[in-house]
Amino acid sequence: MSKYLAYREIVFRDRQLLLDSLAELGFSNIEEGEDLPLYGYQGDRRSEAAALVVRRQHIGSGSNDLGFATSEGGYFPIISEYDRRTLLAGQFLPRLRVAYAERVVETVRKRLRGSVHRVNEGSLIKLRVRY
Amino acid sequence: MPELEFTIDTASGEFQLHVHGIAGPACDDVAKLMKELLGNPGHDEATAEYRLRPSVRIRSQANANTRAKRA
Repeated sequence: MSKYLAYREIVFRDRQLLLDSLAELGFSNIEEGEDLPLYGYQGDRRSEAAALVVRRQHIGSGSNDLGFATSEGGYFPIISEYDRRTLLAGQFLPRLRVAYAERVVETVRKRLRGSVHRVNEGSLIKLRVRY
Repeated sequence: MPELEFTIDTASGEFQLHVHGIAGPACDDVAKLMKELLGNPGHDEATAEYRLRPSVRIRSQANANTRAKRA
């Protein structure tokens, strides 16, 4: 049994941007509610609960439910140790943060009615918004 | 021209913002928008540009002083 880890330092402030980012990574079937219980890969109910949940059936065999709980700052991920290592080759959280960040930039660009210039420098993406 | 420079580290997912060309508290409007989308920043530092007053305001004050002297 893989234990769940709560990443309280990784916070996604905006619910819709988070849902869109999850959809970009292939997780568009999201259960929404309050204190939704999380289940492990054998269907065992865990003590953790979340407000947004990707059920394990939509992730892969051997996976556990993936959740996002709410805090004062927004939504933070609750992910099993197994899925943290294996989901998207262990890149789930970084890729989700990148997808979210890119949506933030696009939202800012639209709000400010600006233009964006994108440059890739190794592992860095630089986006300049002018308005 | 005001410019927001976002840097995304694809390895870690870390996200940074530098604000250029926005003098003074107008920068706070951008910060407010960013807080709405990102929450409170892990690190928030005012640059030298922040401490400048907007140039439009400086000119209007200069004009006001000139008029006052003429009067």
